Amino acid sequence: MHATFSAEELAFQEEVRAFLRDNFNDDMAARIRDPKTFKAATIEWQKKRFDKGWVAPGWPVEHGGCGWSDTQKYIFDSALAEAGAPDVPPFGLKMVGPVIYTFGTEEQKQQFLPGILNGDTWWCQGYSEPGAGSDLAGLQTRAERDGDDYVINGTKIWTTYAQYADWIFALVRTDNSGKPQQGISFLLIDMRTPGITVSPIIAIDGEHHLNEVSFENVRVPVVNRIGEENQGWTYAKALLSHERTALSGIAYCKQVLNNVRKLAADENDDGQPLLNNPTFQARMADIEMELMALEYTELRVLATVANGGAPGMESSLLKLKGTELQQAVQNLFFDVAGLYGSVLPADADLSSLGHDYGDQARREYMYGRACTIYGGSNEVQKNIIAKFGLGL
Amino acid sequence: MDFSLNAEQQLLKDSIDKYMAERYGADQRRQYLAEGTGFSAKVWQDYAELGWLTVPLPEAEGGFGGSVVDTSVLMEAMGRSVAVEPYLGSILLGAQLIALGNNAAVKGRYLEEIMAGSCHAAFAYQERRSRHQLDAMDCRAERSADGYRLSGSKTLVLNGAAADVLVVAAWLDDAYTLFAVPATSNGVQRDAFKLMDGQRVANIQFDAVELAGDSVICEGDAALAMVETVIAEATIAVSAQAVGAMEKLLKETVEYSNTRKQFGQPIGKFQALQHRMVDMYTATEQCRSLLVRALCSHSGGEAQAASDTAALKAMVGKHGRAVAEEAVQLHGGMGVTEELSIGDYLKRLMVIDTLFGDSDWQRRRFAALRYGPQAA
Repeated sequence: MHATFSAEELAFQEEVRAFLRDNFNDDMAARIRDPKTFKAATIEWQKKRFDKGWVAPGWPVEHGGCGWSDTQKYIFDSALAEAGAPDVPPFGLKMVGPVIYTFGTEEQKQQFLPGILNGDTWWCQGYSEPGAGSDLAGLQTRAERDGDDYVINGTKIWTTYAQYADWIFALVRTDNSGKPQQGISFLLIDMRTPGITVSPIIAIDGEHHLNEVSFENVRVPVVNRIGEENQGWTYAKALLSHERTALSGIAYCKQVLNNVRKLAADENDDGQPLLNNPTFQARMADIEMELMALEYTELRVLATVANGGAPGMESSLLKLKGTELQQAVQNLFFDVAGLYGSVLPADADLSSLGHDYGDQARREYMYGRACTIYGGSNEVQKNIIAKFGLGL
Repeated sequence: MDFSLNAEQQLLKDSIDKYMAERYGADQRRQYLAEGTGFSAKVWQDYAELGWLTVPLPEAEGGFGGSVVDTSVLMEAMGRSVAVEPYLGSILLGAQLIALGNNAAVKGRYLEEIMAGSCHAAFAYQERRSRHQLDAMDCRAERSADGYRLSGSKTLVLNGAAADVLVVAAWLDDAYTLFAVPATSNGVQRDAFKLMDGQRVANIQFDAVELAGDSVICEGDAALAMVETVIAEATIAVSAQAVGAMEKLLKETVEYSNTRKQFGQPIGKFQALQHRMVDMYTATEQCRSLLVRALCSHSGGEAQAASDTAALKAMVGKHGRAVAEEAVQLHGGMGVTEELSIGDYLKRLMVIDTLFGDSDWQRRRFAALRYGPQAA
């Protein structure tokens, strides 16, 4: 039992750090944070990783993965956190990509995987509906067969970044006769198809991340179906465990905590740095210790998967605990910002405040409230662990 | 990076799991506890024959030369059964300090017998005012014509009553010094107590105890450093014991919830209870992860070993108690009886929290290491 790196792994770590020094900087970080430049900067960052061959660590090599060991993946993620670099968007690389290379046809792989890898295709996820949230299997968007097409009618909601998306992967109902989980199919849909309307939903942070996507007689070729008709739930479930693992946000939490530590060392608290305040230290220590634990929980899960196991309830555990910790670090971040975290940027010239992170702290706190809800609410994750993990 | 046990460690785990399954049921445990010393001499002899008493001791001294991973494997299994043998006091503390010291005469006198199971050791370091501060002590030795004269008193010495040799921390010319003291020496007065988890401890009074000239195990900064190392390893080992106990509590609670019926169904079908058991599971997994983390960094001699160990002990203290309290609650009225062993686990986890720095103390230590002036 050890966590030491070999000489090759140390050399790899140096290579990753050098890559980040050369390809990621504060300017890019700021452009990714700014909603106005988010999409272009995100794609720019993805292309840098793609050019290096480092865009899909979790994928098999034959589909464009890196062929890294778990240790290398850990080194890479840790280096990203150190550098304050965000991961690339998960919709293509962590969600639909694995479904396509696992269950898709040869043609689908050739058509879609390159764009997912190089960032040319932006994907969004069409799962939730106004009447199907935590109870996802209750979805009602209908797909009726008409010749070589399906005709889609219905509404998807909470669709993150649909306004940027070229394609959507969606769960649709192709049969109503059996149990709700049966009769669902998994479709890949071009967002430019006539009949698709994207309506913005402004979130609690005042930003436009979320959308409602409605389908009115949208024709989708049957060849864009993944796998068998009515078997979509099986494919979606496989995806969900990848998604939940991806939602743990451990690298993000480490980044925020590193940042909070620096900021709290500079904030005045009754004549002392805030970082010296024992109450603040205790709070931060509680969060950091849980995060250190979760980092190893994730590594233990990866090791299990590498040995042939599948991430089952462990992925629910990572989602559950990871999102709790995301909110805990966001709370801490907001509290370090103090009243400056409440200033709305539209009303003030931020540079005149002499405080440059309040806006970010507020937005991350506000949108962070969503993380315990999306990807299957944390209460649903607890149901999953209770039933499938503990056998209750 | 590799979190698996090696072949030797796996054998060790299999051997103690098998032993505990056969020899450590709740009723058997009660019989062992009822013996005069608070544990079974026969079981201790089994530990010796199975080689477990040699595990942490250096090969040069005839030991197995095992690491903290090996002792954690043993302690975790002991935690699953709330074992009552004084493995911590006798082997991980007392014997280990003798073995790591630099006094060949003392080693020759005790180690072989300790490993054979015929001699017990203990480490007498805590005094009434010490709490978790190692050098907050008044015990003092002075030089005499033939050696040393030791005076002072120690409290709550783990395995203090059964020990044949006491490793005693005392000041000698203002240097922190460890002495090997035969427990039957003139002037040694022992008062034995039971702790709530079945462990036996003793308050020990040293009244001008005459010690031979070759009684010093180690002195000065080296002695304090040695004690810190031994306590750091024991801290990880008791945390492993806590993780074993937590896993067992979760398993028992789930089983009970699936069989106990109220309102016409097993209580485990109620979502309010399911979610509480998921919280127990999450806390247990998080503690297991910190155990792996601390074992890795400690074995690798890494700089973050100290903060990893502090995090482990802080979390095990906090979550261990919480998991046990939840287990009692979910067992309902039965949980507060002595009929079930749930209470035994709660008591052990509470005792573990108080050992070597409780949850609050360890969290403060962690914060000092991570955010204090000396932090990187």
